[in-house]
Amino acid sequence: MSINLNDLLRKYKSHPYEDHEILAPHTGVVKFKVEEGQAVKGPSGQWLHRPGTLLYILEREKNPKRITSRFDGIVTDLRVDLDGKFVEAGQPLMLIRHRLNKQEITNRILKEVLHIFPAPERARYFFTPEISAKFEKGKTKSLSVKTGDEIVIMSLMKRDTTLNYEGPSGVLYEVYFKNGDILEQGAPLFGVCLPERLPFVEKVIQRIKTEWDD
Amino acid sequence: MKKEKVLIANRGEIAIRIMKACNELGLDYVVVYTKEDRASGHVKKALKERGSQAVYRISSYKDPNEIFSVADHSGATAIHPGYGFFSEDFRFARRAALRNRPITFIGPRWEVIRDLGSKINTKRIAKSLGIPVIPGSDEPIYSEIEAETLAEELFLKQKEQGIDKPSILVKASAGGGGMGIEEVNHLDVFRQVYRRIQNYAKRQFGDEGVLIEQCMRDYHHLEVQLLCSQHKEVVHFGTRNCTIQSTGRQKRVEVAPGFDPSIWEYPFDARKVLDDMVKYSIRLAEKVEYDNVGTWEWIVTRDGKPYLLEVNTRIQVENEISACISRISRQRGPVNLIKEQIRSALGEKLNFSQRHVSFEGTSIELRIVAEDVKRGFAPWCGTITRFEFPDEPWVRVYTHVPQDEPYEIPTEYDPNLALVIVWGKDTQEAKERAKDFISETIIDGKDSRGNGIITNLSYLYEKVDEVLRF
Repeated sequence: MSINLNDLLRKYKSHPYEDHEILAPHTGVVKFKVEEGQAVKGPSGQWLHRPGTLLYILEREKNPKRITSRFDGIVTDLRVDLDGKFVEAGQPLMLIRHRLNKQEITNRILKEVLHIFPAPERARYFFTPEISAKFEKGKTKSLSVKTGDEIVIMSLMKRDTTLNYEGPSGVLYEVYFKNGDILEQGAPLFGVCLPERLPFVEKVIQRIKTEWDD
Repeated sequence: MKKEKVLIANRGEIAIRIMKACNELGLDYVVVYTKEDRASGHVKKALKERGSQAVYRISSYKDPNEIFSVADHSGATAIHPGYGFFSEDFRFARRAALRNRPITFIGPRWEVIRDLGSKINTKRIAKSLGIPVIPGSDEPIYSEIEAETLAEELFLKQKEQGIDKPSILVKASAGGGGMGIEEVNHLDVFRQVYRRIQNYAKRQFGDEGVLIEQCMRDYHHLEVQLLCSQHKEVVHFGTRNCTIQSTGRQKRVEVAPGFDPSIWEYPFDARKVLDDMVKYSIRLAEKVEYDNVGTWEWIVTRDGKPYLLEVNTRIQVENEISACISRISRQRGPVNLIKEQIRSALGEKLNFSQRHVSFEGTSIELRIVAEDVKRGFAPWCGTITRFEFPDEPWVRVYTHVPQDEPYEIPTEYDPNLALVIVWGKDTQEAKERAKDFISETIIDGKDSRGNGIITNLSYLYEKVDEVLRF
């Protein structure tokens, strides 16, 4: 596999943004706490324990839910006409234009370098109890996988199917879902790093660290 | 009847049937839907009949806050839960009844749902009333050692009874609808199956409790349909036979009445067995002061012994085959149990008693599902491009699949496509009509790889011949 790291970095440098659409997670009455063009912050702190900027309050069944920003960025396309109104689940409320940081750029490039095991169907995914137990013990990035290993359980229409890994042997380097997430067909479940590619992966990480300004 | 507005907290064909019942009763309604269901027929019908003010997108059918939030915003005075979702959730029913702005829950009162919603508690009450139940655990088991001890005991008991191939069932206690059940034929593999079911139960229901009971072989699965009111009226609408099921124990073909001695010979007195089941069901309903529609589920073994399985405190998918063969004197045409259920929940009297109910003919329900019967009833996902079926006076079809545009089956839910209710003056005619219907039905579609749709139509065709035969 030939990957030109310079081309990839150039691509991201020319448009280092990502627009995040902020949708109402459920029904309720919305009250905005930001204005168009306002800069907002995502969560911060060592454990991301400090919440981001308060975007809006969604009140349902007398429970006001404070919705904070999950990204740093600028508020655009704010639906001021909905302020104080009842909204349905999934209603678009605003966009946040976010500038990609080092970690995000690294993750995106890694997706192109690692062997990605994709979701075969739109379904709910879980790690097998054995793999989950290893993760709980903190054994990520030291877990070797090979073809035939039972890694993931796909729950489709309430029926569970164990998925066997198919692909080159290597280290389970990145995981792209949490137990119980619904993933679209083709979305990455996890990425496996071939042993011989580990030095290249380290190089990618190092270059982004030195060349990208957060 | 006072002007009520019913929030239909369900999807698919049952939502459509509830809308029809509301229309016939002159009641207003609102519907909810999720992102995956935006193309569903129930949304289209509501938009057409009531406009966008009657249609609300929610994040999940399983979030009670969403349902109550929409109920308050839309001014709904009652919630019809349909089947599944909140239909047997006593906490939801209790919340509806006890909140500052009470909302009528269309179902039994919450105390009844709580008491009969637990299979184990039902078993205990039934035992105390002398109603026969299946040998097994009386409460959810969380300990592997305890489970293994009971499993061993059940195997021994069956050997003592001279049962050739003893086996037991391991079930997710919080499960239902045939999901999370596995059979164990030998004690050696019990622990492995127990762990699998325990993990499944934890993932799907958040409760790893497991039930263990003797696996009955060579039996028929029957049901008794009851309708009760808040005025202590109890009426039954006969029995149904739901023996034809998928390997995951989900029903595929149902017939009312439960047995037909005029076309098949049974190794027992079929009429007496049916009468006993009805008698026992009413005994339990009267004991708990049941006050809405409900289904008493039974199995009947080859030696003619009925065993109570559980009570479904809700409207059942297959309620309409019972309604279809029931007649109430002074009323025209077949009964509509969903209408009766709504009336009963709103506090009305039934206006008839058992002596006014009679039965006529046989009714068969076919569940058309996109599934591969040859691969263990594996669900099929894809887009339906054509769905056509015959329009006859003896058949009713309930479907949420639009017939005027392609429909992508949501992967979040079972791929049920339609419910078909066929009526005949006797079992033979009902069977012939069911087969005619299947032969004339056309379903086309493609999956994401371009392969053609797989449905269970040919399986249903084959199975129609077997209905009611022991």
